[in-house]
Amino acid sequence: MSMSMGSEARPAIHTNGLTKYYGKHLGIEDVDLHVQEGEVFGFLGPNGAGKSTTIRTILDEIRPTSGSATILGLDTHADAVEIRKHIGYIPGDLALYPNLTGMDTLHYFANMRGGIDWTYVDELADRLDSDLSRKVGDLSTGNRQKVGVIQAFMHRPDLLIMDEPTSGLDPLIQREFQKMVAEVAAEGRTVFLSSHTLSEVQRVADRVGIIRNGRLITVESVADLRSKSMREVEFVLDAQAEASDFESVEGVSNVIVAGNHVEMSFGGDMGELLTTVTERYGVADIKTTEADLEEIFLTYYHEGEEDRS
Amino acid sequence: MTLANVFVKTAADRWMGWVIAAVSVSLFLLLGMSTYREIDLSVYTSLPEAFRSLIGIGDDIDVGGLAINVMFGTWGAIAMAALALAMGSSAIAGEERDGTMDILLANPKSRTYVLLSKTGALVVSIALATVALWIPIYPIAASLGVEISGLEVEALTLHLFANSVFFGLLALAIGAMTGDKGKSTGITTAIMVLSFFGVGFLPLIDGGDAVVKLLPWYYFDGSDPATNGIAWGHLALLGVGSVLLLLAAIVGFNRRDLKGQSVGTTMLDRVRGNPLLNKMIGRLAGSARVSSIWLKTLSDYQSLILIASAAMFFVMGVMMGPMYASIPEETLKTFDQLPEQLVALFGGGDMSTPEGWYSLETFGLMAPGAVILVTVVMGAGALAGEESRRTMALLLACPISRYRIVLEKVVPMVLYGIVVGFVTFAGVSIGSVIADLGMSISNIAATATLQTLVGLVFGSLALALSAGTGRTSIAIYGSIGAALLLHLFNSLGALNDGLDDLGWLTPFSYYLGNDPLNNGMNWIDAAVLAALSAVLIGLSFVLFQRRDIRQRG
Repeated sequence: MSMSMGSEARPAIHTNGLTKYYGKHLGIEDVDLHVQEGEVFGFLGPNGAGKSTTIRTILDEIRPTSGSATILGLDTHADAVEIRKHIGYIPGDLALYPNLTGMDTLHYFANMRGGIDWTYVDELADRLDSDLSRKVGDLSTGNRQKVGVIQAFMHRPDLLIMDEPTSGLDPLIQREFQKMVAEVAAEGRTVFLSSHTLSEVQRVADRVGIIRNGRLITVESVADLRSKSMREVEFVLDAQAEASDFESVEGVSNVIVAGNHVEMSFGGDMGELLTTVTERYGVADIKTTEADLEEIFLTYYHEGEEDRS
Repeated sequence: MTLANVFVKTAADRWMGWVIAAVSVSLFLLLGMSTYREIDLSVYTSLPEAFRSLIGIGDDIDVGGLAINVMFGTWGAIAMAALALAMGSSAIAGEERDGTMDILLANPKSRTYVLLSKTGALVVSIALATVALWIPIYPIAASLGVEISGLEVEALTLHLFANSVFFGLLALAIGAMTGDKGKSTGITTAIMVLSFFGVGFLPLIDGGDAVVKLLPWYYFDGSDPATNGIAWGHLALLGVGSVLLLLAAIVGFNRRDLKGQSVGTTMLDRVRGNPLLNKMIGRLAGSARVSSIWLKTLSDYQSLILIASAAMFFVMGVMMGPMYASIPEETLKTFDQLPEQLVALFGGGDMSTPEGWYSLETFGLMAPGAVILVTVVMGAGALAGEESRRTMALLLACPISRYRIVLEKVVPMVLYGIVVGFVTFAGVSIGSVIADLGMSISNIAATATLQTLVGLVFGSLALALSAGTGRTSIAIYGSIGAALLLHLFNSLGALNDGLDDLGWLTPFSYYLGNDPLNNGMNWIDAAVLAALSAVLIGLSFVLFQRRDIRQRG
């Protein structure tokens, strides 16, 4: 799904200059988010950037110092209860009632909503390999998280808000989770999920908002972000490499050559780089590693600073 | 720095509680001395021996002795022993329940080292608190011009120290042996409360003198250390007991499996453990306990209400009847001659009548105390508890308003307050009937109603503090502290004209102030108490609505 789609549709989440101070300590400042219905929106930022503060503010857990927000066109404070009929939520650092079983927990929350399709719950539990008969307090972190995930999905909400939902899940279950997210989006429902790992967000999201030090730095489509994002690239070539061959390509920096082995930082169009390299060399091996998230933030942060100046 | 080692951390974790206890007991002492100074103490010297034993007053009583005996012999000793108990049960079992014992023992330290560090911290904390209690006695007495030179203050504080260490180690040993904090707290509290009351009551009946020596509390003040000085034999017994408990703790802790971060097993769980019963319960109740917030809250506090109800019903209700009947006729007659002023001190408890007996023993302190305990724990836990356990986020993600959440937390609190009042009523009524005391059932009902209402005032205060701050500790300390101070104020007010004029300020004066056990229901009192609770509960709705939810405890 691209950004152009549904720009006239009602936004699933819309914040307007949303600001939250805890006393003098800044939580978030001037956050303007616009999440379309039917998209998967990734909310990316390092620990303490303000992801949870944003989510907790739009869920009316905490009240903004200034600014306002709507969810599905409803005011997040005045219509909080109505909004909650349509959302599923996994808080960051999920806590459940340790003395209830997984099934008890789901029944507890289901009873506050009504209209749960229990065969769907069974299906979710199967897919996530979750044992709902055990007490939550006796479960491992990952297995507890599964109960949280089921709890958020079980009533087929119009909007899923998930704060670092995959923490503690093993890779196999993470993949299943990503499938579930994709299915939700395919049904035209909206997913808003926060994460501190770029790769995770890239795998599921259509667009990504990056937040740092309480400020929303940029909103990009995943495709754009991918082309912009810095990564470490390593080539093993069939001949002695010349640094100048690589430095001419836009986005290449820090080239280190050692015989037929070359390493560089790259933040441009991968196709262009590959074309340039293959024109001159035979490529024996390529390795790319995702750049440190912090590098990307720094990139955007500096861009943001420059824009302002 | 504060986390230099297990010893320092354990001591530092609890310093606040000890400081609060030391300061409040000193304040109580100040208030007590200044009050007793105003009254004619001949009323005490004319007291029958049996009665003095019951309230813990020695033979040659004077202002200083009376104040110190009342404040240290009862309030101070209970507060210190209770804190020691809390620290002892948290020491090993508490860390296991919180799941931090695993990480502690991942360090190159033996279990014995951890246990001894915790014991050391416990003993040193008690010692420091004892010193903090002892030092202010002299300036307080001097500033009020009260003579205390004839008193063995040091002997009393030393006994108090030994007594607190004993109960702290009892809790620590049970926790170390079982890894079950609930068991440790429950058993130690039961032994403490029963022996405290036993020491007062048993000497009144035939053969009681021998039985009382089985109770640990007897070795604290059985020898009247404030008058007679240190009883080395008694101290030695407490000391040997403490050492034996420590040894049992070391052996027990080293031999068993550690418990992981665990979940308490409730009665319901145990019943459900049986497959047949589980099926029946499933059919009967379905998943009733998760069908709504208020039912889940009722279920969450099932152990608390069971213990409080059982204690009020059997011990404070039913048993008190036959106990009263077993007190010899002559002893009761002497109670009849008590000065009115003194009688007033115990909420009109004229001990020569069964009504007076029940007023003093059951309704005076324990009955409102039980309602306060249950409702404060629930009121504090209601909102702040869900916040500190971080489950509030999920509740608030459901399509229910904050008002509704408060309401669904208020209902169980009020219901359990009523339950405690009702079982007290039932217990006292049955006690009266089986001992043939002929008390008015409707008056008992009136008193129990007022008991629930006065307790609910403090439960509602805890709820309001919990709703306003989101902090369980503020809610609990604030409301329990208010209850203690106001109760003390109410008791002393009966002795002091100046304070008496202000008596209307304390909720307790609307409870036993008009002697409901003899005079029946006073609807104005009931209305005042109900209105106070209503205002506080109303405030809770407003406060919770306006506030940011806390993310962490």
